[in-house]
Amino acid sequence: MFENHDDQQFAARMMRELTLVEAPASIWTSIEEALSSEASSVSSGGRLETGWPRMLALAAIAILAIGGVVFWSINRIAPYDVVRVDASSGVDRVSIGEWIETGAASRARIKIGDIGTVDIAPNTRMQLLAARPNEHRLNLARGSISAQILAPPRLFFVETASSTVVDLGCAYTMEVDEAGSGRLRVTSGWASLEWDQLESLVPAGASCPTRPEVGPGTPAFDDASERLRQVLLEFDYSGAGSRAVEVVLSESRQRDTLTLWHLLSRVGPDDRPRIFDRMVALTPLPNGVTREKALALDPATLKLWREELAWTW
Amino acid sequence: MVASLNEQDVTSAVVDACRRGDRDAFRVLYEAHKDKVYSIALYFFHGDAAMAADVTQQVFLKLLGSIGQFRGDSGFSTWLYRFVVNACIDSTRSSAARARSTDPADLDMLPATGSHEDAFAKAQVAGSVRAAVSSLAPKIRIAILLRYFEDLSYAEMADVLKCSTGTVASRLSRGHQALARMLARFRGSSQRED
Repeated sequence: MFENHDDQQFAARMMRELTLVEAPASIWTSIEEALSSEASSVSSGGRLETGWPRMLALAAIAILAIGGVVFWSINRIAPYDVVRVDASSGVDRVSIGEWIETGAASRARIKIGDIGTVDIAPNTRMQLLAARPNEHRLNLARGSISAQILAPPRLFFVETASSTVVDLGCAYTMEVDEAGSGRLRVTSGWASLEWDQLESLVPAGASCPTRPEVGPGTPAFDDASERLRQVLLEFDYSGAGSRAVEVVLSESRQRDTLTLWHLLSRVGPDDRPRIFDRMVALTPLPNGVTREKALALDPATLKLWREELAWTW
Repeated sequence: MVASLNEQDVTSAVVDACRRGDRDAFRVLYEAHKDKVYSIALYFFHGDAAMAADVTQQVFLKLLGSIGQFRGDSGFSTWLYRFVVNACIDSTRSSAARARSTDPADLDMLPATGSHEDAFAKAQVAGSVRAAVSSLAPKIRIAILLRYFEDLSYAEMADVLKCSTGTVASRLSRGHQALARMLARFRGSSQRED
């Protein structure tokens, strides 16, 4: 694209009118508090700790209850309840920036406001990033969590090193290893894995891998053939290309149009017609979807097609 | 007392110290980048100081949590601004941010570039530029802010935004055109000042 040089120079001059704004000191204060909490939460002997002394946490709960404070609506730093699920059951609280770490023999459950719960498996390290009525955000550094969320889409997020899990109203398990690679497995409803321009939609019964620097792979149903799931990994992360497409086409069943629909926009133009033809052979083309528009990756057409295909997923 | 450092001063030794859990080293990184990160978030979110503070906090906590994965094969600021872009774009996807529109009250709360009479006109221009930037599409807005606050090269921006340099050029071009169109009334005065 050629740029009008005058516009560019003028815009650059205008942008110089925007001054650098000094970050408020309160940001570092909250970061420091979060770091202090983290330091005091490092578990020993595999026990869960969240940094707040238990008595202080209980006192805070009591004060909130007595005062009738509507914490969520007036304070961005709303603590979540953390229930230990181990031999020493009890309730702690976790605030913004705090880390929760489970040991080899400990589990925990976090209550996510009033929209659901997150179960934390052993050997998991997780951080609370945001807790607002309209945004709940966790950072899963490693380990495994299972989320059960009953809320409108895009209210609950789990960030990992390679992508963000976006809740679309569902229950799912997300696992992340030390290297930041992970797998999302959805057990009810829908979730998506998002990274940069890439989005993988994952319905119940399906899984999707994710890798650092590459992002989410292609989702597939867990009951798809082993060969299909294996070759998808090679397509996503080893550059298997057309060879992998060939296997996917031959192994696909009707509900594997989930995988084919995602591949349609991820393969090269030479493979795209073959995928389209296989999809049409498995499920009749719905009204409003044309070969021409689908192969041109028209966003509205692909969305309509996905919504129709989803009935078979 | 924490020394104020520029990007060039942030050496791999500081990052290594952060990896080892050195809190002072992390403070050095924070001090070196906090104002730019906060400013980008502030202008990205239409002057919403609370949102900008939240995003800045998130960015640095996430950065510290992931600093072990910084391999040094790209520049530190490139790596840092990936967190900034992700935090900004993710937050615009949340329902509240989607519903949020440019609120003149928010924009007015930004520090003016001059409050004296002789700076009144300049402050007015700055206010108009803030409003114009706010009205850009998020992906174009973040590209423009990265370009003018961090002075990233096209290649660095492509790395941060995970797109080709061609896409970067296209987004910047569209941003420049939109800004030029919206701020056309200042063309004469801007040229005279130059």
